[in-house]
Amino acid sequence: MKNIRRKNRRRPEPMLAAERKKDPGVTKLTPRDDNELDAYKKRALYAAFVLLFFFAVIISRLWFLQMQKGEYYRELADSNRVRYLEVAAPRGNVVDRYGREIVTNRPSFNVVWVREDNKIDDEWLKKITRILGVDVSDILEKIRKMAHNPGHIPVRLAEDIDWETVAKIENNRMDLPGIKIEVVPLRVYHWGNHASHLIGYLGEINKKQLAASEPGIYRGGDLVGKMGLERLREKDLRGEKGRNYMEVNALGFEQKNLKGIEPLPGNDLRLTLDMELQKAAEEIMDEQDYAGAVVALEANSGRLLVLASAPALHLDEFVGGISHKAWNAMLDNPHHPLVNKLVQGQYPPGSTYKIITALAGLAEGVITPDSVIYCPGHYRFGNRTYRCWKRGGHGAVNLKRALSESCDVYFYQVGQRLGVDRLAKYAKLFGLGEKTGIEMEHEKPGLVPTAAWKKNRFGKSWQEGETLSIAIGQGFNLVTPVQLALMTAALANGGTLYKPTLVEEVKDPDGHVIESFTPVVLERLRGQGRNLKLVREGLVEAVNGKRGTGRRARVSDKNIMVGGKTGTAQVVRLKQYIHLKEEDIPYKYRDHALFICFAPAENPEIVVAVVVEHGLHGGSAAAPVARAVLEKYFAGKYALEEIDTVVVPQRMLEGDSPLLVNDIAGDILRQQTQVIQ
Amino acid sequence: MLRFDRRLILHFDWVMLLMLVLVSGMALANLYSSTWNGSGSASPVFFKQLYLFVAALFLILLFISVDYIELATFGYLMYGGVVLLLLYTTLFVDTIAGTQRWINLGFFKLQPSEPAKLTLVLVLASCYSKNEVRDGYRIRDLIKPGILTAIPFVLIMIQPDLGTALMLGILFVSMTLFVKLRWSTVGILGGAGLACVLFGWKYLLKDYQRRRIETFLNPEGDPMNHGYQIMQSKIAVGSGKTFGKGFMEGTQGHLNFLPERHTDFAFSVWGEEWGFAGAVFFLSCYFFLLLWGINIALSARDKFGVLLAYGLVMMIFWQAVINLFMIMGFLPVVGIPLPLFSYGGSSLITTMVAIGILMNIRMRRFQTT
Repeated sequence: MKNIRRKNRRRPEPMLAAERKKDPGVTKLTPRDDNELDAYKKRALYAAFVLLFFFAVIISRLWFLQMQKGEYYRELADSNRVRYLEVAAPRGNVVDRYGREIVTNRPSFNVVWVREDNKIDDEWLKKITRILGVDVSDILEKIRKMAHNPGHIPVRLAEDIDWETVAKIENNRMDLPGIKIEVVPLRVYHWGNHASHLIGYLGEINKKQLAASEPGIYRGGDLVGKMGLERLREKDLRGEKGRNYMEVNALGFEQKNLKGIEPLPGNDLRLTLDMELQKAAEEIMDEQDYAGAVVALEANSGRLLVLASAPALHLDEFVGGISHKAWNAMLDNPHHPLVNKLVQGQYPPGSTYKIITALAGLAEGVITPDSVIYCPGHYRFGNRTYRCWKRGGHGAVNLKRALSESCDVYFYQVGQRLGVDRLAKYAKLFGLGEKTGIEMEHEKPGLVPTAAWKKNRFGKSWQEGETLSIAIGQGFNLVTPVQLALMTAALANGGTLYKPTLVEEVKDPDGHVIESFTPVVLERLRGQGRNLKLVREGLVEAVNGKRGTGRRARVSDKNIMVGGKTGTAQVVRLKQYIHLKEEDIPYKYRDHALFICFAPAENPEIVVAVVVEHGLHGGSAAAPVARAVLEKYFAGKYALEEIDTVVVPQRMLEGDSPLLVNDIAGDILRQQTQVIQ
Repeated sequence: MLRFDRRLILHFDWVMLLMLVLVSGMALANLYSSTWNGSGSASPVFFKQLYLFVAALFLILLFISVDYIELATFGYLMYGGVVLLLLYTTLFVDTIAGTQRWINLGFFKLQPSEPAKLTLVLVLASCYSKNEVRDGYRIRDLIKPGILTAIPFVLIMIQPDLGTALMLGILFVSMTLFVKLRWSTVGILGGAGLACVLFGWKYLLKDYQRRRIETFLNPEGDPMNHGYQIMQSKIAVGSGKTFGKGFMEGTQGHLNFLPERHTDFAFSVWGEEWGFAGAVFFLSCYFFLLLWGINIALSARDKFGVLLAYGLVMMIFWQAVINLFMIMGFLPVVGIPLPLFSYGGSSLITTMVAIGILMNIRMRRFQTT
């Protein structure tokens, strides 16, 4: 081969050119050409192998992508194309003990635009703005805000529209492509602002809550309970969101609907509360423009009947986020509506504390019911004079009179005999100085001072004179209204301290009870039945006796005896106010008025505790409030006994599926359109 | 000039025609699916491609009627014409989407860079088959083919259309390696080539081109753009699994997740809708067509024929490999279509003409003069 090539090379080049010129059409084949042709073809054969090699590479890559990882890529393709919209679950309803609705949902209608693209037709825009009665710029602004969101998320053009508008849109459905009516459950407060601190309100979830919650439950913009039971029972009330699955294109615009998941409504709460009583309590507090708290509970179970903190919150101001102005107004209000006074308000118990002092005295044997102490209107101890509220003095008083007329001197002496620590022991047995565990937020524990506590807190030893103040409920003592009520209940029922409860039962959407009330005993005072009865007798005398301090708590039904104790808690002891008339003392320095009571006296069922902030006198300010609650309670009780049936809780949304909401909406709609036609 | 020979009919390349129709049939079916817009009938794009295919069949008839040897000289004429068109695009055509590639002929947008590939193969085959070099090609013997390549290369680079320009480079390398080179030439060219790549990366590439390559090397860095395209393409192909989602049932394509789904990423749609089975069938047909082209080279009657057939096969082959590699995530996004399969008139006509020339070489394998 080499030889041939050499020979070839020797061939003069010009000849080839000459040959070509002779016959320009076809190149003449030469032997040398043949050889080179063979070499070329050999290389072409190599090229075939290169082709086959790449073929193999491509096929094996396809094998990898389609056969080995096919499932993975199929999932990716599905997650590409399938999107979902969450469907809000109706929150659980809240009803009172008789099934009267407190908070439920109503369907609200929003106008949404489901985009196929972001283009807007002028005609369409004109029509929709006319129907909704809004400015074109408003609509455009809303669309612009949403333009960057994924296309499958509808643009909300109007919220909570009325029936007329719904009907108009339905009638013009043909001319309004992409416009849909979205049904969203909204909270309805059937009793206005009553029980507002207890129920609480909803607000948009914040970043912290969102981060703390389990993934998948919430999204930004969701409404969650921000206060009260709405917050504490969020898990029960929220239900489970549904999902509408849909197929979207690469721009995120909906192409078709796929099968979805129905939302599961939240659980319903039945409270122990009696809303009629609650309303009565709040109304009287409101009428008098009182700030304070009213607690009523069943003496023998701890079921709460009334839980009112006045003034009430304006729940409607919280819907959709409270304004800065409204918030500041609440902060500046001297009646402090934001404070839940039921558990956050700590007040000196005043004379109501004499119950403890009396019982401790009897139990420890430092007095008997017949022990007589002379009250000249003051009591000299050490080099100080302790005054009785009655300047002229009560004269000789026994236990009954001391309680009914609230003689300070009597209890100074009892307190002095007991000492601070023995007093504290009984106070604790009545649940004072500790949180009660009620389902309310930010509960304060109150305060029961002891010698050790003072040493610890101030580094000073206890002065015996201070015990005198403690014995009549002044000094370091602090209680919350709920504690006062519990203490009274323990007195009324013979010494059992029940945990205060406000949820009677929790029912799932199918009506199965998943949680129901059982009384919880926190503390039991043993062997004191007789002594408790003696104290109760003193309290009955306080309301019914001629000189009793709580006479204003008597109810109109003469068959029902009420036992009660007034209290007046000094807010501040300032010399410049001592000589002023009470009405001239600035509001914030006036004394608090307290009243606790139980009824009927012989076999107590209900206990009421009332605190009126800066109300001056328990007998005049707080007792009438308690009376109003008692009147309502007994009136309602006898009325109920006649009917003898319990109203079955009626859910607003029967069946509670949004589908049904739609159906109801659709039914009403059909009726509406028929009327129009 | 035109001599009719009975043997031409006798030796007509039925195999090539069959493969052409088979592959084009699948291509058209795929185009029908990928451009389906939900209305009752096929899209205008589909009909346009169908008409062009029929027109190109006539063009094939024209190209097989003349002995391919005429192309040895006629090729230079075509080459000159294409260079003029490229110059025209660079100088007078308005920029579309950052590049100047198309000349609007009213009924058809001509992309001169497509026929540029074909004419380059023609002139290189002509050039290499005429030159006789003792002991292989020296550098100086490569000056002429080098210049022939450089002219359209630079003009296309200016557009800028990196992918097609690189295609020209690849064709030059494929054809040059085919002829006998001296080792020193190989060494010098290899070194120079490497230097060019480094230099080009640093100074010549536009930012977006560099980004594409970087994206390919690190796809997570740019998930929404080029990395996104390749990812969506892989999802489309992979989600086809064994037998695919069915004709017209591909979700990646029909819901617009796939970019350029009827042009550069047409095969992704095929893979999605027909699965591994369909893809293997199509690729077998496609590669059989290419191997048949090599077979034509092996049976060609002269050096020009061999070189030309080889060059044309390489032209189709490398585009196909680059396109498929891109679709399957082996290469960054480069604007190279899958010949015969991707939508695009210029590419279709160029490829059909190339196949016509191959058939021409096949038919005249027995002719000697």
